Amino acid sequence: MKVNEVPQEITYYEGYKRACYALNEDGKYVIVTSSGWSAEEIVNGLAVAELEAKLEGVRQEVIRGEKSPLLYHMERRQMTPEILAKTADIACFRVKRHFRPAVFAKLKSSVLDRYAKALAVTGQELISVPKK
Amino acid sequence: MSAETTSSGKPFVHYHSAHCESGVTLALFRDKGVEISEAMIFGIGSGIFFGHLPFVKWVGLPISTFRSQPGAVFRKAGKRLGAEFITRRFRNPQKGMDELRRVLKTGQIVGLTTNIYWLSYFPNRFRFQFNGHNIIVLCEIENGFRVSDPVLDHPVDCLTEDLERARFAHGPLEPHGFMYYPQSVSQNPDIRLACIKGMRDTCNMMLRIPLPIFGIRGIRSLAKRIIRMPDKIGFHEACRHLANVVRMQEEVGTGGAGFRFMYAAFLQEAADLFGSDELAQLSQEMTAIGDIWREFAVVSARIIKQRGQSEDNFGKAGGLMLICAGREEEFFKTLNTVVRNLKA
Repeated sequence: MKVNEVPQEITYYEGYKRACYALNEDGKYVIVTSSGWSAEEIVNGLAVAELEAKLEGVRQEVIRGEKSPLLYHMERRQMTPEILAKTADIACFRVKRHFRPAVFAKLKSSVLDRYAKALAVTGQELISVPKK
Repeated sequence: MSAETTSSGKPFVHYHSAHCESGVTLALFRDKGVEISEAMIFGIGSGIFFGHLPFVKWVGLPISTFRSQPGAVFRKAGKRLGAEFITRRFRNPQKGMDELRRVLKTGQIVGLTTNIYWLSYFPNRFRFQFNGHNIIVLCEIENGFRVSDPVLDHPVDCLTEDLERARFAHGPLEPHGFMYYPQSVSQNPDIRLACIKGMRDTCNMMLRIPLPIFGIRGIRSLAKRIIRMPDKIGFHEACRHLANVVRMQEEVGTGGAGFRFMYAAFLQEAADLFGSDELAQLSQEMTAIGDIWREFAVVSARIIKQRGQSEDNFGKAGGLMLICAGREEEFFKTLNTVVRNLKA
């Protein structure tokens, strides 16, 4: 890659720039900053869109009353039940059980606090999902 | 580059690096007054690699890595350059944060391994649960820390609670609050010997691991997998897998083409150091290989964007990767013989 081939097509990194190695006119490697590459936008966009679609699907399920808001907040933090279980220090099978709305509704506040702390949300946020 | 100071008032220069781990190691060495470049550290630490791990899933997709395992560059470069590091892990987050504050007060900068999701200064679209991001902490400030993240172009502030979450995140490759700082650094390291060790190690890793998922064999098997992919798992799923490979190649702080350009920069520096024309030629060859990797990324992006409507298909993308595999095999075999003739 030459210095003038370092992608500057789009601004994709929201205010910061990325370091790329490229050859200057003398054939020496230098670090050049890149503002964004459209190929990267496509592949990263695919991953981000996938996460968003999944999150939205979960939100609808919560609104329909099929799943508890805990699942939504877990997905929002891109966690899996295993990671959430370890972070909140609650057994994994219990975490999965708490995805059922009826079980979640009966949880003690001490358990809710642990989930809120693990997911970095307030207690109010944890028991609801945003209405878009 | 910008001027910053540590708690003891010592100036700290932030270097914008392509890769987080080599960038952090670079900062620790520079802070101790050793003049060395990021590419050099990357080469000495044998950072370049390839591995395709179909059984390890990250966000539901198999991992393809273009680098050696997290922590290896730091460990190997430190050892080969004759530096002693103090490394610590913690069970208790409170103790981990207290120890960090204590060391920072002595004026020492500290390297940390963190989870990138909880570092809120990153743009949202780059925040994924990944437990292998390395940063440098300069000093404590009001309700936070001053952080020099080598992949950003300037130092930033990080809230205490974010940093604590990032250091003690759970999941694969748990960091356990891993922190490291140099105890003693050799002021005149034997860079020539370190380079030779690094290059030999790299050749072994790329050529001699007898498993079909690592090194050149790994590139071949992934290329063949990609060619067959649309028939096996359907076009949409195949796009997801392909996008993941390209993301690993370009996005996760690689300096372009899955670290290949950074390695070419290392070889160029090594060529000057040894006065070797062969290494200079190998550097050019690596640049050419890197350009093919870039082309692979462009073709893949086009496949994904146009949903198979163009003449680009998985066969072409996989074919480019096979070319890379062939040329890299040739490259590392030549490097292996060249290194044998170098004198430390």
